Amino acid sequence: MTANLLASDGQAFEPLTDAFAQNPYPAYAALRDKGTPQFFADFDMWLVTRFDDVAAIARDISMVRSPEFFMSEEEITEQKRLQNWLDMPHHQRFVQFSMLDSDGEVHDRLRKQVFREFTPAFIARQRGMIERFVEKLVDSLIGKGEIDFVEELAAQVPGHIIGRVLGVPDEDCPQLRVWSERVVQFFDIDRSDERKALAEQATTEFYHYLLKLMAERRRAPQEDLITRLMAAQDAGALNEDELVSTCMLILMAGHGSTIDVLGSGMHALLRFPDQMERLKADPGLIHTAIQEMFRFESPLPFFHRYSTTDCVVGGQGFPRGTKFGLLYGAANRDPAQFENPDTFDVGRNPNRHLAFGGGAHFCLGNHLARLDMEVIFTTLLKRLSSISLVDAEPQYKRGLSVRGPKVLRLALTPA
Amino acid sequence: MYRVTFIDADGQVTELTAQQGQSVMSVAVANGIDQILAECGGSCACGTCHCYVDDAWIGRLAPPDDSEQGMIECLMNPTTRSRLSCQLKMSDALDGLVVHLPREQY
Repeated sequence: MTANLLASDGQAFEPLTDAFAQNPYPAYAALRDKGTPQFFADFDMWLVTRFDDVAAIARDISMVRSPEFFMSEEEITEQKRLQNWLDMPHHQRFVQFSMLDSDGEVHDRLRKQVFREFTPAFIARQRGMIERFVEKLVDSLIGKGEIDFVEELAAQVPGHIIGRVLGVPDEDCPQLRVWSERVVQFFDIDRSDERKALAEQATTEFYHYLLKLMAERRRAPQEDLITRLMAAQDAGALNEDELVSTCMLILMAGHGSTIDVLGSGMHALLRFPDQMERLKADPGLIHTAIQEMFRFESPLPFFHRYSTTDCVVGGQGFPRGTKFGLLYGAANRDPAQFENPDTFDVGRNPNRHLAFGGGAHFCLGNHLARLDMEVIFTTLLKRLSSISLVDAEPQYKRGLSVRGPKVLRLALTPA
Repeated sequence: MYRVTFIDADGQVTELTAQQGQSVMSVAVANGIDQILAECGGSCACGTCHCYVDDAWIGRLAPPDDSEQGMIECLMNPTTRSRLSCQLKMSDALDGLVVHLPREQY
């Protein structure tokens, strides 16, 4: 399937090209400069890129994730058929249905079951565990001289930490990452049949894995989120499909975007060496530095919403049922909101970016992602005297819905 | 127009005006009170608009609903005066409200 946007002036938007993967920001700027949402014909969707418009839609409760508020079941099935979402029974049951794609009562009820584990106070109590985990990992890598930061470091942390919160043993995390990536890749705008088969198979294996884990917890309950969710299921707060779907969503979220932003954040520090030096000299800047990494290279740059009422976006009227594509990556470089938006500034404050979205669907795992990143960057800057890029131009993942380097080879010199 | 006063962790006082129905969070964000992060934009979903209502005012506020209460219990350093400023809407009854700001939200 091609994926080109042709605006009224004939200008193309080609988010599946290698050029876009390497640097999407000129294309985002061109869309933003048009001032109004732009129609993306292949997916029947209006792309929104200005900060104020993206923030307003993300925070508006009349803008929803699921089309069920204004489409009949037949219409939804027909739309799914057109977009190649059907004939994948486990994916439809556990992935296409989720907290992320629910609204209103269902969303609020599911979020309520899990939010406690992701609040500031609970996450702060995980700091010691994360520090010990990262120290040990860095011990094993520091003598190597050269590493792939994405595979050997970034990919080893967030998935293991979310696994521990949920109750997944460390040794199962690599497999969970493979499943997560296969499931998530299918969400991008090029839904090939090959990706579809992989996504369905991965969801099926993931489901059977979770059934086994739940059976173990049934025999021997633990102090973990999966045990607590099973108690919530017993109390009638959610059903088994909702429980499986929620566990998958949390594990997939934990295995993907934080890895990507760790990679792009490290790359940003290397592209702006004055900022790396500034952070080394003043480690107290770590909080603003991490905020800036999320703004500068938002790891999940694209989410959709449907309008449930007639609405006005960027001064233009749209009918009920319009699908909007929110480009967080574009909004977070909007010069109307951020001074020198293409400059990476580890001290930027305030930094009210939209990388975690907004409104009811605001990223549940934001505090955990930030703590993982804080521990990793603080540990590395303390233990290494220099970090340098091996390949001058690391390759980035292709697609509209993810942003992060595929590989980031680094030369390390211990302190 | 209503008045609302913010006092930060160092004792710095900022007096601002607010419209009927405007949340204390949005007054803060619109006027550069940077300690109120309010990352979710007012959906009671992030816990980064925490404030402490002044002793003189706490008894005059309607108590938090279940979702706000659930979030308050999981904030950093919560007290009996803790509220999410996105859930406090300005009205005649709150004219002159005084809130204290935490040093950090997380």
